[in-house]
Amino acid sequence: MRWIVLLFLFALSGVACLAQESPYFVTYNHHMEEPGNLEIEVSSTTDVPRSGQRFYFAPWTELEYGITARWTAELYLEGQSTWNDSTIFTGWRLENRFRPLKREHRVNPVLYLEYESINEADRIQKELEGGAPDVSSPNSLLRRIKDHELETKMILSSDIHDWNLAGNFIVAKNLSRSEGFEFGYSLGFSRALATMASGSNCRFCRENFSAGMEIYGGLGSTLGFGVKDTAQYAAPVFAWMISDNSTVRFSPGIGLTHDSSPALFRFGYSYEIQGFGSKLSHLFGGKP
Amino acid sequence: MRRLGILELTIVLTLLAASFGQNPSYQSDPDWRPPDEAANKTNPLARKPQAVAGGQKLFLRNCAECHNKDGSGILKKHSADFQLAAVQQQSDGTLFWKITNGNPDHGMPSFSKIPELERWQLVLFLRKLKPPSESPTQP
Repeated sequence: MRWIVLLFLFALSGVACLAQESPYFVTYNHHMEEPGNLEIEVSSTTDVPRSGQRFYFAPWTELEYGITARWTAELYLEGQSTWNDSTIFTGWRLENRFRPLKREHRVNPVLYLEYESINEADRIQKELEGGAPDVSSPNSLLRRIKDHELETKMILSSDIHDWNLAGNFIVAKNLSRSEGFEFGYSLGFSRALATMASGSNCRFCRENFSAGMEIYGGLGSTLGFGVKDTAQYAAPVFAWMISDNSTVRFSPGIGLTHDSSPALFRFGYSYEIQGFGSKLSHLFGGKP
Repeated sequence: MRRLGILELTIVLTLLAASFGQNPSYQSDPDWRPPDEAANKTNPLARKPQAVAGGQKLFLRNCAECHNKDGSGILKKHSADFQLAAVQQQSDGTLFWKITNGNPDHGMPSFSKIPELERWQLVLFLRKLKPPSESPTQP
C-alpha cells in the first residue's frame, strides 16, 4: 500500500507534461500516446431519458499508456448509476492500437483490438455497435447478463491544414452469445481554434481550445445489417487544455433515431504524466 | 598548486556531471531523411522573431522531457542534442519534417497533432539552441 501511495505521489510530481488532446469521445484518430506517457482520464456519459426510462450516469476511468511510439494500450474501468435503481460496476475493457506505417501519410491507418468483459448494464457508450443498448430494464436484471466481446476497428485518419478528419469502422463479436458479428461506425472532424502559440502562459487563449463534431452509431449485425433499430448520434465536441498536463472535454450529443436517447452528455477530464514508464522503472531501481 | 588541483578537479567533475545528462555523442539516424521537397521548405515564420517565445513554450511542453530544457538531449533516452552542429546544419524543412513524422522505431513520436504553424514555431526556437559558449543568432 505504501508503495502504491508513493508511486502515485511520485508520478504526479512530473510537472512539464503534454496534453494536446483530441476533443473526440468516440472517434479515434491516428495520434498515439507518446511512448512512456500515462494518461489518466475520468469521463462520464449521461442522457436525457425518454418517457418510461430512467436517468442514468455512467462514469468510467481510462488509463492510457504509450508502450512505443506506434503502440498504445488502454484499460477502462466502468460503472453506472440509474435514478431510483442502483449503482453498479459494469466491467472493464483492454484495448490496443497499433500504427502499421512509420511516417505520416494522407490517410493514416491504425489497427485496433479490444477485449471487453462487461455486463448488459454498461452504458458508457464509448462506441456503438449492433442495435441500440437496453436503457429500460432494471440493473438487477441487466447486470446478470455478462458479455465477453472481441472488437476490432479500422481507424483511418488525416491531418489536412490543421483539421483532423477521422473515420472508424467497428466489428465486434460477443463470445458469450451467438449474435453474429456486430457493426458500427464513427466519423469525426476537429480543429484547434488557434494555430499559433502565444508566448504567455495563458489559460483562456484560443490556442488552448479545440472543437469539432462526431457522428456515430450502430450498423446492425450479420443477422441484419443497417441502421434499423440502432442508436445514432450527432455530437459537437469541445476540448480545453487547462494546463500543460490536463484537459477538459465536453460533448452534447443529439439522438437521431427513435432508438437513440434524445440527448447524450459527455464530460471528461484527463491528466497526463510524462515519462511515467521511466519514473516507474527508476523507482524500482531498473534501467529507465 | 594544491588549490589549482582542487579547482581542476572541480571543473572536471562539473563537466562530467553536466555531460552525464546530455547527449553530445548523438548521431542522427541516416535512414531518417525527408524527401527533397520537404527538406527545401522554408519557415513561413522566419521573419517573425516574436513567434520564438511561443516556440519556447511549445518546446518546454512537448520536447523538454526527452531533449532537456536546454535542448542538449538526454544520453539515456538517446535523444538528439539540438545544440550540435549536426542538428543545427539541417534545413528548417528537415527539422519540420522530423517533428511532423517522428522516428517511431527510435522512440521519437510524430507531432503532427500540433498545428502546422506551431511546428514552425518549434523550428524557430530550435535555431536559438546553441551551446552556452556561443551567443544566440538571429533566426
